[in-house]
Amino acid sequence: MTLTSVARACALASLLASSAFAAVVPAGVTLHPTQTLIRNNGSEPESLDPAIAETVGANNITRDLFEALTAVDGDGKVVPGVAESWKQVDPTTWTFKLRQNAKWSNGDPVTAEDVVYGIRRFLDPKTASKYAATYGVFLLHGKEVAMGKKPPAEAGVRAVDKFTVEIKTPFPVAFLPQLVSNNNLGPVHKASVEKFGKDWTKPGNMVSNGAYVLRDWVVNRSVVLEKNPQYWDAKNVQLTRVTYLGVEDGNADVKLYEAGQNEFVYQLPPGTYEDMKKKYPKEVRNAPMLGLRYYDFQTQNPVFKDVRVRKALTMVLDRDILAQKVTADGQIPAYGIIVKGMEGADVVEYEWAKWPMARKVEEAKKLLAEAGVKPGTKYTFSYNTSEYHKKMAIFAQSEWKNKLGINLELEAMEFKVLVKKRHDGAFEMARDGFIADYNDATNFLALIRCDSDQNNNFNCNKKGEELIVQGERSTDPAKRKQLLTQAAKLIMDDYPIIPLVQYSLPRLVKSYVGGYSLLNAQDRFRSKDLYIIKH
Amino acid sequence: MWSYTLRRLLVTIPTLLAVITVCYVLVHAAPGGPFDDERKVSEAVLANLQAKYHLDQPAWKQYLFYLNNLVHGDLGASFRYADWSVNDLVAAALPVSLTIGGVAMLVSLVIGVGLGIAAALRQNSLADHAVMAIANVGSVVPSFVLGPVLILVFALSLRWLPAGGWDGFGSPAYMVMPIALLTFINVATIGRVMRGSLIEVMHSNFIRTARAKGLPTRVVVLRHALKPALLPVVSLVGPLAISSITAAIVTETVFSLPGIGRLIVNGAANRDYTLVLGLVVLITVIAVALNLLVDLAYAALDPRIRY
Repeated sequence: MTLTSVARACALASLLASSAFAAVVPAGVTLHPTQTLIRNNGSEPESLDPAIAETVGANNITRDLFEALTAVDGDGKVVPGVAESWKQVDPTTWTFKLRQNAKWSNGDPVTAEDVVYGIRRFLDPKTASKYAATYGVFLLHGKEVAMGKKPPAEAGVRAVDKFTVEIKTPFPVAFLPQLVSNNNLGPVHKASVEKFGKDWTKPGNMVSNGAYVLRDWVVNRSVVLEKNPQYWDAKNVQLTRVTYLGVEDGNADVKLYEAGQNEFVYQLPPGTYEDMKKKYPKEVRNAPMLGLRYYDFQTQNPVFKDVRVRKALTMVLDRDILAQKVTADGQIPAYGIIVKGMEGADVVEYEWAKWPMARKVEEAKKLLAEAGVKPGTKYTFSYNTSEYHKKMAIFAQSEWKNKLGINLELEAMEFKVLVKKRHDGAFEMARDGFIADYNDATNFLALIRCDSDQNNNFNCNKKGEELIVQGERSTDPAKRKQLLTQAAKLIMDDYPIIPLVQYSLPRLVKSYVGGYSLLNAQDRFRSKDLYIIKH
Repeated sequence: MWSYTLRRLLVTIPTLLAVITVCYVLVHAAPGGPFDDERKVSEAVLANLQAKYHLDQPAWKQYLFYLNNLVHGDLGASFRYADWSVNDLVAAALPVSLTIGGVAMLVSLVIGVGLGIAAALRQNSLADHAVMAIANVGSVVPSFVLGPVLILVFALSLRWLPAGGWDGFGSPAYMVMPIALLTFINVATIGRVMRGSLIEVMHSNFIRTARAKGLPTRVVVLRHALKPALLPVVSLVGPLAISSITAAIVTETVFSLPGIGRLIVNGAANRDYTLVLGLVVLITVIAVALNLLVDLAYAALDPRIRY
C-alpha cells in the first residue's frame, strides 16, 4: 500500500467517524406522543443469535438488538457503531477504537474482548453458523478456523487493549468497515451466553448492546423489542417499542396493514403494485436494492456448452417489457452482473443492450444457426413454485418461442428441491436471485467465479478469475475497481447467467413513519433510524 | 369397557411406531435437506451443522436416537427455529390450535345437528332448501377464499374484528373469525349427514310404532330417533377433528395465527425433520385418541354395541 492510499483510507475513516448519527429528526417535524411501530418482517426469524442469524428477517431484528463495530444508517452509509473510529494501519491490518460509553443492556461496558469473543464464537465450528466460512475468508485464518483446522483463538482478531480491536485480513479487504457492520461479526455478551447456553436468546435472558432489548417472543406471532436505556445513543432513539410480525402471506400482510394492525408491509404481493400506488400514493415506498434476478445456464450441460446458444437466448428477452408489464413493480432492467449502486466496480452492460429488438433477434437467430440449434429445440427451465417466478418464466417462454422458435418446458418445484438441483448442477436452466450481503462488487462476482460455492452456472473463466484475485490484492481503490470491472465484463462475455432485473422492494409504510429512506439499497432499516410523525 | 380401552391404547403403540417409521423415511427421502439454501454451505460448515443435529450418524442410528429421545418425551431440536426445541414450539402452538379447533368443533356440532334436524323434519320445505344451500356453499367454497372474504367484511369494512393475529387467550376477538370459518366448513358436513341420517331413521319401523302409539313428534324425535340418527355424525367427529388440523394450515395462514398448522407448513418446506416428525407423532396421538372416544361414544348411543 502506498502512503497516499493509507492517507486516503485514514481520511475516509475519520470522515465516516464524524458523519452525522442517525435518528436525528429533521427540523420542523413534530413527533407523535406515542413512538411505537409494528413492522412485518416477512417471516419468523430462524434465530436471534447474531452468530446464527442468516436470513434478512432475522438480521433485521438482530440489527436492532445488537450493534456491531460499524453500522449502516438509514441511507445505507457505513457509520460508526460500537467503534467510534477505525483505521487501516497496513494493507492487511485494521484497528477499531471502541467508544467507552457503549454498554450492554445489563450495564456492563462493551469491551474489545466482547468483540473478539463474538467473532471467535461465530467462526467456531461448534457454533455451526452457516455464514462462518462466507465471512471467515476475510479474516486471517478465518476460513481455517471455520473448517476446524485451527482453533478459534488463531483467527485474525485480537484485543489490543480494553477498547481497541485489531483485525488482520489474509489480503487487503478494502470494504472491511462495511463488512463488520454485519452482526455475525459483532460483540456478544459472554457471561450470559455461558450462563444460559442455548436459551440465552430468550426474553429475560438476553443481554444485548443495541438500541433495543428483547421484551417478548412468541414464535409465528411476534418479537417485541423495547428501547434500551443503556444504549450509548439512546437520546437519539425515538421508537420506544417495536413489534416485529412474522406474517409470510403477502395478502394477510396487506389486510393487517389496512386494518391498522401493521404499519409496515414487508413486501407487496405480486401484481398489486399499480393498484396500491393508486390507492395509497403516499404509503407505497419502493427502493431499488442491491439484488439481481437472473437465470442460470448449466454451462457444463451439453445443451448449453456452446456460448453462442447462451448469448442468443440472453439477447432476445425484452427486459423493458419484463420490468414494466410482467413484474410491473418498479424493478430495473439489468444487462450485467454488477447492479446499480454497487461499490467496487462499474455497471457494465452488454454492448447489444441498446440495440433495437429486431437487430437483436436477427443476431440471435444467426448465432443459433451457427451453433446448429434448430427452431423447435426444447430446453427445460427449473424454478421454485411462486406466482412471481411463474409469471417471469412464462414471459421468457413466450419470448423465446415467438422470437427464436425455441420451446421451453417449465418445471416448478419446491424451493429446497431447486437449490439442491442448482448446487448439484442437475438442470439445464434455472431461476436464481441474489441480494448483497455487503456492498462490494466481490459479493456479486462470487456468483460467477471459479470454485465459488455460489457459482450455480459451473462456468470458469481463468483470465477473469485472475483479474479478480489481482483486484482483491490491490490496495489502490481505483486500480481495484478497474480490475474488478474488467473481470465482470470478461466473465459475463461467457454468458454464464442471464441477468434480468435489479430487485426493488415495493412495500407499504404508513405516511407517518419518518426516517424511511429510499437510498437504503440493502434494505437494512434499523428501528433507531425511524420515528413516528404526529398524525 | 376398561379392558377394551386398555387394549385400544396398547394397539396405539405399534400404530405410532409404524407412522413414525414411514414418516421418517419419507421426510428423509424428500429431495433437498435442511441445510440446502440459496447459498451453498461449504463442506466444512455442512459437517459442523450435521454434527450439531446428529445427521452425521448412519440413518439407523439417527432413527434409534430419535426413538430413544421420544420415549423420554424429547422431540428434539428444531432446524428451522434454531433457538427452540420442538417441545417448546408444540407447547406454544398446540393450545392455540386446540382452542380454535375445539371451540369450532363444539359450535359446529350444536349448529350442524340443530340445522340437520330442522331440515330433516321439514324435508323439501323452504327451510330445508335454505339449510342445504348453506351446507353446499360451505362444502364448495374453499377456506382460502372464504377467510379473506370474512376479513374484508368484518375487519376492513365493518371494523368489528381484527384482521388476524393473536393476542393471547384473553382476547377472544382474535378467535371469532377463525372459529367462524372452521365452524362454517364443519356445519356444512355435519348438517348434511345429520339430515340424511334422521330422514332415514324417521322412516324406520320403530319410529312408525312410536308414532302409532300417539307420541308427539318432539318426543318421537328426541327420545327415539335422535340417538340412532346421531351415530353417523359421531363417526364423522374423528375425521372432522383431524381435518380441522389440516384446515388450520389454511386458516392459520389467512389469519396469521401462531398455531401448529403454520409449524407443519414451515417444517415441511424447510425439511425440519424433527419438527415434522414431532407434529406427526402429535397428530397421530390425537387421531388415535379421538377414534377411541368415538368408539366409546358408539357404545353409549347404540345399546347393541358393548365392549
